[in-house]
Amino acid sequence: MAGKEVAAVEIVDLVKEYPSSFRRKMYRAVDEVSLRIEQGEVYGLIGPNGSGKSTTMKALLGLVAPTSGLCKVFGCDSMKVDARQHVGFLPENPYFYKHQTAEETLKFYGRLCGMRGKQLAMRIDALIELVSLQDARKRRLGGYSKGMLQRVGLAQAMIQEPQLLVLDEPTAGVDPVGSRQIRNLIFQLKEQGVTVFLCSHLLEQVQEVCDTVGIIFNGKMVQQGSLSELTSVDSHTEILVEDMDEATLAKVREVIEQGGGELLASGAPRRSLENLFIEIANQCGEEAR
Amino acid sequence: MSKIGFISATRISVIAGHTFTQLVRMKVFYFLVVFAVIVLASQFVDMSTLGAVKAVEQNLRVMKGAGFFAMNMFSVILALSATALLLPKDIEDRTLYTILCKPVPRLDYLIGKLLGVVALVTVGLLVMDGLFCLILNIRVEAMVAEQADLLTRMGRSAEVIESHAAAIREQGVTWSLQAGVIAVLLKAIVVASIALLVSTFSTSTIFTIIITVVVVLIGLIQAEARDYFLQQQSLGMSSPMLEMTRWISLLFPDFKLLGIEDGVINGERVSWSLLGRVSLAGVLYAAIYTVLSWFVFRRKEL
Ligand SMILES: Nc1ncnc2c1ncn2[C@@H]1O[C@H](COP(=O)(O)OP(=O)(O)O)[C@@H](O)[C@H]1O
Ligand SMILES: [Mg+2]
Repeated sequence: MAGKEVAAVEIVDLVKEYPSSFRRKMYRAVDEVSLRIEQGEVYGLIGPNGSGKSTTMKALLGLVAPTSGLCKVFGCDSMKVDARQHVGFLPENPYFYKHQTAEETLKFYGRLCGMRGKQLAMRIDALIELVSLQDARKRRLGGYSKGMLQRVGLAQAMIQEPQLLVLDEPTAGVDPVGSRQIRNLIFQLKEQGVTVFLCSHLLEQVQEVCDTVGIIFNGKMVQQGSLSELTSVDSHTEILVEDMDEATLAKVREVIEQGGGELLASGAPRRSLENLFIEIANQCGEEAR
Repeated sequence: MSKIGFISATRISVIAGHTFTQLVRMKVFYFLVVFAVIVLASQFVDMSTLGAVKAVEQNLRVMKGAGFFAMNMFSVILALSATALLLPKDIEDRTLYTILCKPVPRLDYLIGKLLGVVALVTVGLLVMDGLFCLILNIRVEAMVAEQADLLTRMGRSAEVIESHAAAIREQGVTWSLQAGVIAVLLKAIVVASIALLVSTFSTSTIFTIIITVVVVLIGLIQAEARDYFLQQQSLGMSSPMLEMTRWISLLFPDFKLLGIEDGVINGERVSWSLLGRVSLAGVLYAAIYTVLSWFVFRRKEL
């Protein structure tokens, strides 16, 4: 891609209407959404169920035609087949051919992308290891659990080493350990310079991995910006201390009040249930080994 | 960025091969057992040859008729149900998302699916054809031996016996018979392409099957209907139906163009030029329906 950096994703005034059974009115699933994702960025789209996240992604991949507006992937119109060369997509609740094994599935998608031979075989090995499906690679997908299918879906999306990954609810139905793995994977991809566009209704996860966040409600983009911009409360400052006794705390309070501030809260920080669960799971995993 | 070609043989063959394995793993080939039973059963229909060559020929005709009927039915049912199942299943399971979000043009996808079904029908038909020819040949040779025995006892010359044997073999396994099987395959391909077209806009498998069956039935009788109304007109009774049959012939396939088995069953020779014409007609029909499918499917919302 020569010339100046094009945005990885550019969506301009996207409108998508579906016919509704309700008389002849059209139902607006996506209402004038615009967003831009620079190369190498991790963008999270959050919103409740039915707010138009999946529809936006499908329009970006040319699976549905926009009613109006424009979607571009690396400067190429989404409705063209060429736009799909450098994109990997993980659909919501992915479902693959039950009669195939994980290996065959990846081979099939790799060959659709024009890969073959040794290069493809090596890529498949690497991906299967990456999503830790080594033990199940020769089993038919009919017997896979939800989380395993999700991982096959991820591997399939990454088969041709795309520069952009579009992940629709990547952690839906996956247990916390699995979703932690997916999160780590996204970090890894980000280091490699891959652009990631994900959507979720699980706020914590988006918060952990995304540089930029867009909040979508009823098809409308409500707010958009970098994560720190959106979540910092300007007038507050957080201090985290280890091993402090009551006396020191009283002194700190004094110092703060002298400076004209006010100590709002103190106490042991709560770890999230998710963190606790993962810690225990890790411990059990180590003991088992 | 390199351009993606419109039609790529590799991509199509990947999808076709995948479709073929999918269908094989759905165990569709079990139906071949039923076919074997039918062909074997037709063997036992009226074994009394009672000397006359005419009766011998009649026997073989019955057997060939049954064989072709079974091959026609099975290949059409296979083509129809396989095609009608595949596309809705891909949409329902959303496997289509993961395919079409790869650089795969929708036309390639459709052609690949169709060719996968065609490969399946071809393999099934090859097996049926092999089985059918084997049994037919055993029967023919048994009859030749029986006739030779009879004629020798009647004291006929070797030439007479030889010509009788040739006449019987003419009704047995011939190249023309194989041409008839090709015509059966062509019909199945056309049926599959119609089912593909219907399934691009239908919402359920059952709807696809019903509509396709209706189209095929219209295709089977339209030539007769046209002839009938033409005859009526020549008798001075003009009817709007004639105009309608003209329109129908534009939209629906004329399966009579593809039917050469009747002649084959009667032991007629099929010329190369006839086989060529029939093949061309079949492929053309399939191509037209595939292009129409693409027209519908191109803009389909998934
Ligand atoms: N094919 C469709 N036909 C009609 N309505 C649809 C279709 N797909 C989605 N919708 C509607 O569009 C809205 C947005 O859906 P979606 O993008 O899947 O939401 P999200 O992914 O944010 O949960 C929903 O109200 C849904 O009912
Ligand atoms: Mg969704």
